[in-house]
Amino acid sequence: MDDLLEQFLLEGRELVQQAADDLLALERSPKDAARLDSLFRAVHTLKGSVGLFELVPMAQALHAAEDALAALRAGSWAPGADGFRALLACMAACQEWIEDFALAGALPATAATVSAGLVAALRQAPPAAAAWLAPLQAGAGEALAKAWAAGQQVVALRYVPRADCFFLGEDPLALARSVPALLALELRGQAPWDGTASDPYRCNLVLELLSAAPAEALQRLFRFVADQVTLVPLQAATAAPVSSPVMPREDAATAGSLRVDAAKVDALVDLVGELAVAKNALTHLLAAAEAGTAVAQAFAVQRLELETLVGRLHRAAMELRLTPLARTLRRFPLMVRGLAAQLGKTVAFEVEGDQLEADRVVVDGIAEPLLHLLRNALDHGIELPAQRLAAGKPAVGTVRLLAQPDGERLRISVADDGAGMDPARLRQVALARGLASADVLADMDDASSLDLIFLPGFSSAGAVTDISGRGVGMDAVRSAVQALGGRLQVASTPGGGTTFTLSLPQSLSLTAVVTVSAGGERFGVPLQVVAETLSLPAASVHPLRDGEAFVWRGQTVPLLRLAALLGRQVQPRGGGACKVLVVRVAGHPVGLEVDAVRDWLNLAMRPPTGLLAQMRGVLGTALLGDGRVLLVLDIAGLLA
Amino acid sequence: MSVRLERGVVHLVGDCVVEDAEALIDLLQAAPGRAVDLGAAGALHAAVVQVLLALAPPFLGEPEDDFTRLWVLPALRRAASHQSVIG
Repeated sequence: MDDLLEQFLLEGRELVQQAADDLLALERSPKDAARLDSLFRAVHTLKGSVGLFELVPMAQALHAAEDALAALRAGSWAPGADGFRALLACMAACQEWIEDFALAGALPATAATVSAGLVAALRQAPPAAAAWLAPLQAGAGEALAKAWAAGQQVVALRYVPRADCFFLGEDPLALARSVPALLALELRGQAPWDGTASDPYRCNLVLELLSAAPAEALQRLFRFVADQVTLVPLQAATAAPVSSPVMPREDAATAGSLRVDAAKVDALVDLVGELAVAKNALTHLLAAAEAGTAVAQAFAVQRLELETLVGRLHRAAMELRLTPLARTLRRFPLMVRGLAAQLGKTVAFEVEGDQLEADRVVVDGIAEPLLHLLRNALDHGIELPAQRLAAGKPAVGTVRLLAQPDGERLRISVADDGAGMDPARLRQVALARGLASADVLADMDDASSLDLIFLPGFSSAGAVTDISGRGVGMDAVRSAVQALGGRLQVASTPGGGTTFTLSLPQSLSLTAVVTVSAGGERFGVPLQVVAETLSLPAASVHPLRDGEAFVWRGQTVPLLRLAALLGRQVQPRGGGACKVLVVRVAGHPVGLEVDAVRDWLNLAMRPPTGLLAQMRGVLGTALLGDGRVLLVLDIAGLLA
Repeated sequence: MSVRLERGVVHLVGDCVVEDAEALIDLLQAAPGRAVDLGAAGALHAAVVQVLLALAPPFLGEPEDDFTRLWVLPALRRAASHQSVIG
């Protein structure tokens, strides 16, 4: 991928997340100037980088968002619920667009329409109202600076008198004259003058002013024309010109840290693995060295030290792969909000423990399962507000995502206080779908009944909905969690809510594996047992009793065909060299002949499950980069 | 009388009330380009200021009245220069 694009996607995602986080925080505490600055920076930077690509609708939406935020920063716009909704909708759209762009290299056809809608929503309130503030402040210059330097509060006021105010005996200018601590006054026409002032008794004036008087004093002064006045308290902190170049962000999260390409970390981990293998070879050399000599002893000591260091290096390298859960979890608040709104539900969403770290593969891997669990909680768990009230619950539902350390593992739960699941109903559904026999179901207790939802083909939704009815069942969620070496459990109280708990490994113990092909398939052999790989001339293979053998380091070593051990068809040996893996079984070398020795890899291995668990000689399975499953062989078990 | 014409220049003298707006318009429209001297002006009614804003005559004099001198006249001058820029 083009570097620039890659950088954009990476940063774009982060900036959208940052903006969404800031927005949600600002909604709770609108006075948080640091958040506002961070939000503005994120949107500004994102808008800038969007300009480098063909993403016009996205750029337009972000432009409108930036304008709105500028107004917010200038203090001329207090976004209500609508304002936040518009801004959040803009961020949600950007989030989707970035993914669309990553996948398809272009925005979807709908983007222009969506963008137009967002722009309209964002333009509605703020910028029109805001336009007057900036020139007014700019015009006030020194007086304003002095007021702020003196720590005074400054209020901006815009007074648009009624057209008939002169007939009512009002003099808007007399009101302006009585404003205490005036810092600036601007006069302009409501409508453009036609150059004739045709009707001098029809008021066409707009008065804009700044005052260092308390807002309450001005409110009192203008109380009879309150409907014609806009009062905006200004804040010194937010009044700085917003056009200053945006400085690179250096908050606590990034200071002192370094962004490293994941591939480089993996390359390092691989190298450490290679080092471990090289170290293993020393063990064999040591065995060959004359035992008891001073050199052999010193060698043994050095090897031990090397082993310790390699072990530490390996752990340190693996820690580089640790990343905070926030990387995945932080995108959820925005999504939950959007979904809840779509469903007509009000939900308080709480996230705890997102600072905990886990292997990058785990952190990325839990995104889909958690997304699905959250969708389920919102769609099927949380009831509509009216139903909740009727059930004596608060109208606002709660969904809680909690991550906790659990020894070497990590426990993540998704709990809702919704309707819960009725075990009897689950049994009925299972029966109706033919997923279990009536006999089995009759004997099933309630706790086991909950597990029925993990059966393929089970869906308790009466109707397939947009939200969770996407053809992904709970069975898929469970297998996704298992693929990470995790477990997924469910607990539920009818009427009280449902909790899904994921137990996950915090760090993947990677197993170094040599991959070989035998009998037309690919297998893995743990590097730990491999002493050497050889290319053995066919002539060096000697018959030995009813088998074959070869000489390796002065020893006669039996040679076995791996394909035969696995019960597969054995190809007759060609004239060329045999590919042989020398493995150690109970301290004795054994040669395994394979079709080819391929590469060696660091893989996250998981214990065999289901049918595989009963198969002899299978140590576990690992997912290959291309998505295929590799069987990792237990050589000792195969030979037993 | 707070609106007077003297030697081709309109003088606003003392406090000007709402009714003065009409007389001011008549004088300014009778001869476009006529200057207005605010040197003796007191408090100006919004209706009067509105006429000055709309017709943007050249201004003469420094008003005696603080508010008019410090705030109203500068605002009128800014508006006039702005109008000539956009017009």
